[in-house]
Amino acid sequence: MQKSFSLDLLKVGEQATIRQLDSSELPSKFYEMGLLPGTVIEVRHKGPFHGPIGLHILSSNLLIAIRKSEAAHIFVDK
Amino acid sequence: MKNPIVAFLGNPNVGKTSLFNRITKLHQHVGNYPGITVEKREGSVKANGKTYRVIDLPGTYTLFPTSMDEEIVYNVLADRNNPAHPDLVVVVAEPNNIKRSIVLYQQARELGVPAIFVVNMIDEVNAKGIDVDYQKLEAYLHTKVYTTDARNGKGIKQLIHAFDERPGYFPSQFAIEEPYKTALDEAKKAFPLHTEYQTWQFIAQENISFLTKDQQETLTDIRERYQLSPNVLQQTEAIKRNAKIEEDLKTVILQKDNHHLHRTNKIDKVLLHPVWGYIIFFFLLFLVFQLVFILSEPIMDWIDENFSALIDYAAGVLPEGPLSDLFTQGVLAGIGGIIIFVPQIAILFLLISLMEETGYMSRVVFLMDRWLRPYGLNGKSVIPLMSGVGCAVPAIMAARNIENTKERLVTMLVTPFMTCAARLPIYVVLISLVIPNETFLGFGLQGLVLNLLYILGVVAALVSAAALNKIIKNQHKSFLIFELPSYKSPDWRNVGTNMWEKTSSFLFQAGKIILAMAVILWVLGNFGPNDKFSNAEQYVLQANPALSEGELDEEVASFRLEHSFLGYMGMGIEPFVKPLGYDWKMGIGLISSFAAREVFVGTMATVYSLGEDIDPDDDEERETLLGRMRSEINRNTGEPSYNLASGISLLLFYAFAMQCMSTIAIMKRETGSWKWTLIQTVMMTGIAYIVAFIAYQLLK
Repeated sequence: MQKSFSLDLLKVGEQATIRQLDSSELPSKFYEMGLLPGTVIEVRHKGPFHGPIGLHILSSNLLIAIRKSEAAHIFVDK
Repeated sequence: MKNPIVAFLGNPNVGKTSLFNRITKLHQHVGNYPGITVEKREGSVKANGKTYRVIDLPGTYTLFPTSMDEEIVYNVLADRNNPAHPDLVVVVAEPNNIKRSIVLYQQARELGVPAIFVVNMIDEVNAKGIDVDYQKLEAYLHTKVYTTDARNGKGIKQLIHAFDERPGYFPSQFAIEEPYKTALDEAKKAFPLHTEYQTWQFIAQENISFLTKDQQETLTDIRERYQLSPNVLQQTEAIKRNAKIEEDLKTVILQKDNHHLHRTNKIDKVLLHPVWGYIIFFFLLFLVFQLVFILSEPIMDWIDENFSALIDYAAGVLPEGPLSDLFTQGVLAGIGGIIIFVPQIAILFLLISLMEETGYMSRVVFLMDRWLRPYGLNGKSVIPLMSGVGCAVPAIMAARNIENTKERLVTMLVTPFMTCAARLPIYVVLISLVIPNETFLGFGLQGLVLNLLYILGVVAALVSAAALNKIIKNQHKSFLIFELPSYKSPDWRNVGTNMWEKTSSFLFQAGKIILAMAVILWVLGNFGPNDKFSNAEQYVLQANPALSEGELDEEVASFRLEHSFLGYMGMGIEPFVKPLGYDWKMGIGLISSFAAREVFVGTMATVYSLGEDIDPDDDEERETLLGRMRSEINRNTGEPSYNLASGISLLLFYAFAMQCMSTIAIMKRETGSWKWTLIQTVMMTGIAYIVAFIAYQLLK
């Protein structure tokens, strides 16, 4: 299995599984809104100039947006 | 017997408010939760032989609050002494987020509140590719599960019928294990009357407002001794609950292809596009403001005309005297000054709630966050800032859904810099006075200056946000996470109620203050300390015996104003406004328009003795006023009062100064403190003074 890397490196259209969130950097709201370890996500949108990232959570069919700086604290693998 | 309270709890975008509107119909009102300033939407419904109080709680994802709205929800549910504490909670879900809503449901039940579960938007269940085994779901939740569709009223009757359900036993779905068990056991000793989960919530949250100081200290002590971080506890709970629900519901909720999402995805490809997304957004923005001004104009003219007629009628019917004057020129004119803004505010909120209802507003947050972040703002600040172009009062209220305390505060502090509708009449009058009607690079110079003033408002808001961002300390880390809901056609019922709520809160809350100020100004302008006021006619006749009757009346009115309390106040502040290029007459305008900017034009008309009914939209009347203002000489400088220097200085003053009592009132209400309200007023008016001073000194 590939080593995990931070979510902001994913390109639009790529899918990955969340492995871990840096809990000291992110509030619990991230978990509560569905970004939990084991969740499969697909990057749907990226704002220009390091803008927000739109994530499709496959298991619940919901679309969540977070900042790029926050995505850097979420680790995924493909 | 007390009327039972039923509270609606749910994630944002589940149609909770539609459901609430369906059930309570128009039997609803907006109040405040005790002690805090978040709006409480409450209604009532008569059914099953009694009257239920129905409360629409703000949308939330969890009972661990991160914003003011969410804190309300927690306090209402967790604090048994809260006057809004419900007898039954209705947890509202939509097909796509049933699992996430179950977390909320479990939390509510484990706090000890009876709850039933509703899957709303049931008509979309097939398109969304969801298949639910309701019998199994009911068994799992230990409660009744209802299905509704708030848009067409399906299932509503059955739901209301269920308001007497009080599901009892609920087994905890969240096992608290080591390393937290020992800490929890110790905390339980301090809260013997509370359930285990309630106590857990106490440990896992900082600053629970309804606990006593002693209780809070006990909890802080336990947290410190066991080295517990609330954030980690909350995350632990979220992970455990979600993992268990995922496992338990494998055979209960089945998921297939979601057609709704395909459509949403297609639209988002355009609306969130790095180039097209912005072009469309700015086009829509332009369209919104055009519509606000174009659509409201005929209605405003109509109101204006009818109010003038009403005032004339009242003046004719009432016996002449100071009381009749107070009623017509003070009270009625004051009310007219409020109502005139209703069309603009109503239309602005019609368009904004359309953007919210369709799901587009979240896309705006997505597009704008990147550009607002450097200024210490948040993508969600877009809504208050945009609304600020209509009126700062509802705009400041729209800042409530910003989670971060600091970002919310900064947003509220800078929103009044945006060019609101009330500045427009002043701008129009002053620009036509001092800016030559020429073209510059093919554009009309006057229009260009007006555009510049709008841009100046945005720049002022952003620059001061950046400055405040450096000054104000941040209590929490800034973060942004929000849902991009599927696009849907708006629920007109919601749009209507939202529009009415926002407009009426302007009309009644701000209206009270504007009205009071109008009366005070009237008194100050209609009474004087000495006989120069009461015997004005004699003084004027002595000076100019040859005046015709019409001229005499105007001269007397002007002489009276000069020697009224207001006139003396204007002369009193003259030393302060002189460096800005104003004389005492303009000083009166500044004082009176402190209540509300739009008062300026009317006051100027009185000061220049043209009678009180000047309509700046009426070309002929405006020309008369303009002509009179043009020929006015500033007695300090001997130059025209309204020259380029003083005119620009005045424009800039109005662009920055906090000339609005309603904004001050709403800031006090929303921040709950006079401190920030005063800081804001001093900051804005201070900047206005300095900028106007520099502009005048450079240009004169």
